Amino acid sequence: MIWVETLINGALLGGLYGLLGIGLALVFGVMRVVNIAHGEFMVLSAFCAVLLSNLFPQVSPLLMLIPVIALSFAVGWLYQAAIVNRVVTSPDPLSPLLLTFGVSVILRNVMVEIFGADVRSLQVGELSRASLEIAGLNIGIMPLLTLVLAALLFMALQLVLRHTEFGRIVRATADRRDIVRLSGVKPDRVYNYVMGLSLALGAIGGVLLAVRSGFTPFSGAERLLIAFEVVVLGGLGSFWGALLGGIALGMAQLIGLKIDPNAGLLYAHLLFFIMLLIRPSGLVSSRV
Amino acid sequence: MTLMPTRTILLACAIVLVAIIAGAPFVLNEGILRLATECLLLLTMAQMWNLLAGYAGLVSLGHQVFIAFGAYALFLTSGWLEVTPIWVLPVAPLVAAAVAAIIAFPLFRLRDAYFSIAMWVFAEIIGAFTMKSQAVGGTSGVPLATSKLIDFDWFEPTMFWLAGGLTLVTIAALYKMMTSSFGLGLMSVRDNDLAAMSVGVDVRHNRFIAFVLSAAGCGLAGALSFMGNLFIAPLAAFDVNWSVYMMFIVIIGGIGTLEGPILGVIIFFGLRELMTGPLGLSGGWYLVGLGIIAVVVMIVAPRGIWPALRDRLGVRLLDVHRAAPRPAAATILPGASERVTG
Repeated sequence: MIWVETLINGALLGGLYGLLGIGLALVFGVMRVVNIAHGEFMVLSAFCAVLLSNLFPQVSPLLMLIPVIALSFAVGWLYQAAIVNRVVTSPDPLSPLLLTFGVSVILRNVMVEIFGADVRSLQVGELSRASLEIAGLNIGIMPLLTLVLAALLFMALQLVLRHTEFGRIVRATADRRDIVRLSGVKPDRVYNYVMGLSLALGAIGGVLLAVRSGFTPFSGAERLLIAFEVVVLGGLGSFWGALLGGIALGMAQLIGLKIDPNAGLLYAHLLFFIMLLIRPSGLVSSRV
Repeated sequence: MTLMPTRTILLACAIVLVAIIAGAPFVLNEGILRLATECLLLLTMAQMWNLLAGYAGLVSLGHQVFIAFGAYALFLTSGWLEVTPIWVLPVAPLVAAAVAAIIAFPLFRLRDAYFSIAMWVFAEIIGAFTMKSQAVGGTSGVPLATSKLIDFDWFEPTMFWLAGGLTLVTIAALYKMMTSSFGLGLMSVRDNDLAAMSVGVDVRHNRFIAFVLSAAGCGLAGALSFMGNLFIAPLAAFDVNWSVYMMFIVIIGGIGTLEGPILGVIIFFGLRELMTGPLGLSGGWYLVGLGIIAVVVMIVAPRGIWPALRDRLGVRLLDVHRAAPRPAAATILPGASERVTG
């Protein structure tokens, strides 16, 4: 029974991991850039949420998600416009990688200097401890809500990309950056919105993860690695695959923690590495 | 320009450098000597990272794992055999190279950023296992068991000589390699892999060799670095900042050139001494400053400062290491480079 509970909790955590991965997958799918600073931006949004909830203690910290998401969108837009767009068309595929890695080092150390290296977390009071009892299984409300929210966001993103004009423009830009210009689309501007959207999704994941467990300015690397593993496990460019990948990683992590309490992310990393050996194309190999 | 004078200049420079390195410990005080050793070791690591990123087109964000493997291999073998650590130094590059040869199989299936981050995940996995394993000291690390066999009167100078020797040998070997057919093959893959394959360059094989050599060099430099501390702990050995340093040095100085990392190391340590010394700033702000320089360089001069300087001024001060980028053109069209730059 305890194992069933572990598996279910792993799946719920997986929803959150899927959220971490989807922002990275979106940027990669549209502009072929792996944004190494994604994890640091998530931690930054968690710091923003903590600051805001300290300023307004009477407001529920979960409502802080709304300003933090808006802020993250703006930051992403500016980050893309000011920095990433300058190398996105570089003939050398390594340029965006190195550039975003440089940005991640800057962000990490600025956060260390401003906020200090202490472990922080976002307190949501009763909600974090509340749980449901179904057939003798103890399931937390907060993780359940997270998984539902993740599934809704995945669906919404899918709908937006499939059926709206914005979605069509984004997909067209992803396919042929040079051709969309003929229809009056400015690829750089599309990229700005996509990066904004990516960091907004990252902010949701970052804040919800900060509710679940503590974080420091150094947590960005950990979050990036999880996000990356989710994307690769799910199969490059597949959104539902990312959710599945997240669930697999969440389960691996919690089963690992049951066997070995101070394992951290070791078992999630191991699962990723083993999958890389036996199925390098990912769990699901479809395209957006 | 014929080949003879270049070779003579190279030889003369090598002799002068050897003389400087041999004599330096008798002139410099211990603090400066330690700093110089650190510079030289980081320069070697940066050259090794550059071999992989600048010539083979593989960016590794997990190169700290080879530094750690080399260092742990040295500490453990020296403890088992109970001999002075210097005699077991060859173990470090061998272990790092062996590890690289094994993990190349799964990792080489991945391209570009996926290779980079998978390397990082690999380093995290090995780091986590090291912290769990009591046999290698767990999270608290291990001291150098045989440090009592070291002659401490000569320890700092010996470390400096080893680091200096390693740096010179590395640069000379890379220079030699880049003018050989193997190096030309590597660079042709970097510049246009399709064209390279069509003339029969074995891309995978070349990358594999570069990866293993790069790991071996980092293993040896890492072993020397931790031997100087007489202590190793997993948090320091598996620190992702090793990769950050190597990357920043190469990016700022000039990726894919042999002189670039030398310039990069000078900027790296110059900025560090300036910011943490007279300006009194913390290590965090130093990394922020270095990161900003790297990002600005990547946007303004994507190939790094050295190639930009070389093209703009037309000066080839550090000509000794050059000839690597286009040795064939110089022999086919003698004087062509003078015409272009003049």
